[in-house]
Amino acid sequence: MKRRAFMLSVGGTAAGMVLLPRAVFAEAGRIDWYTSSDQNILDFWTNVVKPKFEAANPGVTINLVDAGDGPGNIAIGERALAALSSNADPQADYFESYDPLLPSGAIEAGLFVNMKEAGLSNWSKINPLAIESDYSMPYRGSQVLLAYDTTKLNPANAPKTWPELVAWIKANPGQFIYNRPNKGGSGGNFVRRAIYEANGKDPAVFNTTNFGELGEKALPPAWEILNDIAPSLFDNGAYTSGNTQSIQLLGQSAVTMIPAWSDQALSAIDQGVLPETTGLVQLQDLALPGGFSRSVVLSNGVNRDAALKLADFILTEEIQSAVLTELGGFPGVSWDYVSADLREKFKDVIPETIPNFPGGDWEKAINEGWYRNVAPNVDPNS
Amino acid sequence: MTTTTASNDTVGTRKSRWPVGLLLVAAPVFLVCWMIIWPILSAIWRTVWLPGDGAGHSFSLATYRFFFSDQYSLNNLSVTLWTTGVCALLLVLICVPIALYLRFAKGRLAAYVQGLAIFPMFVPSIILSYAIIRVLGPNGTVDLLLNAVGLPKIRSPYLTPWGPVIGLVWDNIPLTVLILLAGLASVSNQSIEAARDVGARPLAVLWHIILPRISNSILVAVSFTVLGIFSSFTLPYVLGPAAPEMMGPFMQRTFRDVNDPTMAITQAVVTFAFCIVFGLFYVRSVAKNRAP
Repeated sequence: MKRRAFMLSVGGTAAGMVLLPRAVFAEAGRIDWYTSSDQNILDFWTNVVKPKFEAANPGVTINLVDAGDGPGNIAIGERALAALSSNADPQADYFESYDPLLPSGAIEAGLFVNMKEAGLSNWSKINPLAIESDYSMPYRGSQVLLAYDTTKLNPANAPKTWPELVAWIKANPGQFIYNRPNKGGSGGNFVRRAIYEANGKDPAVFNTTNFGELGEKALPPAWEILNDIAPSLFDNGAYTSGNTQSIQLLGQSAVTMIPAWSDQALSAIDQGVLPETTGLVQLQDLALPGGFSRSVVLSNGVNRDAALKLADFILTEEIQSAVLTELGGFPGVSWDYVSADLREKFKDVIPETIPNFPGGDWEKAINEGWYRNVAPNVDPNS
Repeated sequence: MTTTTASNDTVGTRKSRWPVGLLLVAAPVFLVCWMIIWPILSAIWRTVWLPGDGAGHSFSLATYRFFFSDQYSLNNLSVTLWTTGVCALLLVLICVPIALYLRFAKGRLAAYVQGLAIFPMFVPSIILSYAIIRVLGPNGTVDLLLNAVGLPKIRSPYLTPWGPVIGLVWDNIPLTVLILLAGLASVSNQSIEAARDVGARPLAVLWHIILPRISNSILVAVSFTVLGIFSSFTLPYVLGPAAPEMMGPFMQRTFRDVNDPTMAITQAVVTFAFCIVFGLFYVRSVAKNRAP
């Protein structure tokens, strides 16, 4: 009986402690930084950016917070917008990767600092192709590519075009898996590559405003392409629930090939999560899409000036070179502003353009349409 | 006459009492109204009072009509019911023997078994999910062990509806065992010894003495776990198939990724309607116990 009573009370206390509220206040000199990116980005900030920045700026620290996912970040953004209207403390200063168009009306309300006019000494170095808005600062790029097991697939035979990839998937049933498009960009951009394939392989066709006129007829052919390969996927059409789970399956040698973020795959190889024998290949007919991560600074944050200093700091050659070497991403600055030997070393990997699929209504339609048309694995001919 | 005297001594039967009891329950009742009842009413309101074509709002059951005529949504609902039913059945089959053993066994081994049965309570479900991928996933530990002794690989439950079932059952063992143990405490050793004295076999003791006493606990345990499993999120999200989804991930995706809060709330109301049925079972069994 005593043992039982003890277990019950321990269980109850543990449950109670989880529910204890925790008070949080913004602190002067401590930049509250939020990200929705994967663990490798957080590790990069923890191990590279934070120590270097704090050493260069005594008295300023960075509080790195993982907001979980995109909507988690947006929730913090909405809180900051509410704080702006009531002159309260938003308890946030810096978003590692954020779309300043959300929440809608935030730019008009003056929530974000205009980075172009904020007097950043390194703003002019930014790759002009990467700039999307004056309110966000691109600092790293990443692209989805195919990661595969070279012990099972000779690099010479790795698919280089979409038709070759489809042929390979069908010839090797059960050896390919991609993740659900809303659960991580590697599967999401694989699905978007299929949408390009179904619509003449021209990324310029799609933009943020033309979903209304194009959506109805652009998406169904892409679902057909994806349904066509579904029976040849892992477990006759299973889809992992995130970038990390796909990498786990490749690491466990359960599949031979996955789409993966370039930076995540490189750090996974570096940490031994993926074996040394992992090969990476990009499609040559049209690359798998990717994009730049853009940071924003809140205008009403307690540590706004320190956050701007941080923004300027990550555009320096030191950090931008580290984005290449430590993170395996592409720099946000033009290639002239990374060290010459790195420029030479990565010459072949540097994409001239990265197709970037628009968000907004397209994203919603893709997230819903894929689940209804592709995920249930219903044979269209039956 | 003696009964009158006794009842006069009992707490709560004096005529001039202060409403202390009512004050004590005021705080939880207020919290339940504010944080549970009110959101429910507001959710139902928001799904039936929809913005019309023009500026105004009007009463409409369109979202519910869509839910119950949409095969995709119905598949999600039925996989949720299936998962919940299978989990509840497996939990009873697994936990009743464990609880019986812990009730009657003594000594060191029983302590270890109890520790093991309670252990899942302290493992966060996200860690459990990744551990299951490692162990039961393709080329996981089980496959490696089977391979070492020359047996074929298992058909991995990962990314099939059985993945969440295995995780949810393991995760809910502690709660079920604890509730059943509490119920078994009401089975007195004397009654079992008396039954044995008149020659009852173990199965007869279980069937005629023990099960009638703990049937109520089983009902409570099942309704508790069913409520948790019906609305579970992490395990079906990580371990389950892309489609059909369980209601938890389905609601979350509709709300965040499809950006359709009204439909997400409709799904939540439907989920709640099912949960309230299980909740009523629990309330009824508690009320039955309290009745004199």
